[in-house]
Amino acid sequence: MKGVNAASTSLDPPHALAARPSFDEVAAEQLDAVYRYLVYLTGDRSAAEDLAAETFEKAFRMWRRFDPRRGTPRTWLCRIARSVAIDWFRAESRRRKREETYARDLAETEDAAFGDGLPEQLELALRELSPAEREVVALRVLLELDGPSAARVLGISQTACSTRLSRALQRLEERIGDVRD
Amino acid sequence: MSATDAISNERLEALLRGDRPRTDGEERRAALLDGLRAARLRAPEPLRVQVLAPRAAPKPRFALPSRRLALVVLPAAAAVAVGAAVVHGFVGSGGSGKPVPVAESQGALRTWSGAAAGSGATVSHGAAPSAVPAKTPNIDVPSRLQHTAASLTVRVPDDDALSKATTQATRIATSLGGYAQSVVYRSPQSGGGTSSLELRVPAQNVRTALTRLAALGTLESQQVSVQDLQHAFAVQTAQIAQLRRSIAALRQALRDPSLPDAQRVLLKIRLAEQQRALAQRLHARTGTVAAGTTSRISLVLSTSGAVVPVATHHGRLGRMVHSALRFLALEATVALYVLIVIGPFAVLAALAWALNRARRRREERRLLAA
Repeated sequence: MKGVNAASTSLDPPHALAARPSFDEVAAEQLDAVYRYLVYLTGDRSAAEDLAAETFEKAFRMWRRFDPRRGTPRTWLCRIARSVAIDWFRAESRRRKREETYARDLAETEDAAFGDGLPEQLELALRELSPAEREVVALRVLLELDGPSAARVLGISQTACSTRLSRALQRLEERIGDVRD
Repeated sequence: MSATDAISNERLEALLRGDRPRTDGEERRAALLDGLRAARLRAPEPLRVQVLAPRAAPKPRFALPSRRLALVVLPAAAAVAVGAAVVHGFVGSGGSGKPVPVAESQGALRTWSGAAAGSGATVSHGAAPSAVPAKTPNIDVPSRLQHTAASLTVRVPDDDALSKATTQATRIATSLGGYAQSVVYRSPQSGGGTSSLELRVPAQNVRTALTRLAALGTLESQQVSVQDLQHAFAVQTAQIAQLRRSIAALRQALRDPSLPDAQRVLLKIRLAEQQRALAQRLHARTGTVAAGTTSRISLVLSTSGAVVPVATHHGRLGRMVHSALRFLALEATVALYVLIVIGPFAVLAALAWALNRARRRREERRLLAA
């Protein structure tokens, strides 16, 4: 299954990028990864689609400032995606305060958000996690970012990142166990 | 073992790298990771089309200086500051050194300096010190109030001559109606001796004093500056007259018996203020007159081989260095003032930035923990 990320993981080591790639190349390689990350973070495919488009729009405008020596394109795009998603969460929070009932109903109608072919128990268990826990799972497990890169995206220490991942996976196991029982 | 056995962070990292699980707990964790990776989740086609569509290059936008730019700008600013000081030093050290007659000085500071080995008031740079005492510049007794400051460096043959010349210099000042404000005499056992004198001489006798002091030995350098004080004096006199008229008017008003008490108190306060201001102006004018009627002469007498702690500067290079250093000090003072003024605002801005960042972090945690 690692083959899913095979094309993009070749960009992960920071020093592997001696030459600066073009934005089109990076966008083509990283689109799926960024979309997956946003789906996990928001738990909402349509929102993730909008946010991914916004992320790449913003990244295109800021491409001049991207420095390959300071991180991989994937890490850089995930940071932008996170910033865009945080704004979305903020707006959602305000909206939910205004339309609390509607927002709750809307959340309940979501289905098969985290990927086709995902076991139902795992899908339900993922839904139980907080966005913060889901995003660390997405970054470390799905996008296969290394510890320092994921920590940089999340703005926390590497130890805190590992601990958060460990807890998230433990909670997933617990939830899956609960569903089985 | 329970279904949620804790796995160390190190082992979890190993499992993420693809290591084989060692325990049942790790087996379950590895299966979970595989399950998560098994899901197919690709970006929808409309999104792919939208993101990968060709687009025009964005217009370059104004960006704030990056940290790297600051690393270039700061040394460049320092270099400019030093360069400006050097240029100022070069310009301020004087060009040909040709003097301007004092009589032409109108409200400005005029300076003559250099190794005075030539004749008359001409400054000859680089000339070897001559045994012939140089003549002083053409300092006429001015019709305007002017403050003259001069510094001379005179070399004498030995310690005996130094002692005699020091006594003689003091006598010259006294005989011309002035006095020696300070005398510092150094005669070390090894090396040459020096004597530094700060003399005050009436303005009308400054030329005579300079001529006689220069004749105490070999004149090595001299510097004469004249500052016009006439304008300051005129301004102070006008202010004093104005204050006196104002005080007289206030006193006249206070003599009126029909003046209401409240107004009387106000007038008395104003009168006291005006009297205080008058006293200050009178004191300042006295100082201006004293400066204009008394000239300051700094004389350094030294024997051959003495290291002279001079107020004067030998040659153009010395003056250039001195001028550049003074300019640098001025720049440093200005920078310090700016720092003092801006500092509190910068600290407040940094604090506000840090608080805002902390608030945003808290908000982010709250949003993502929901």
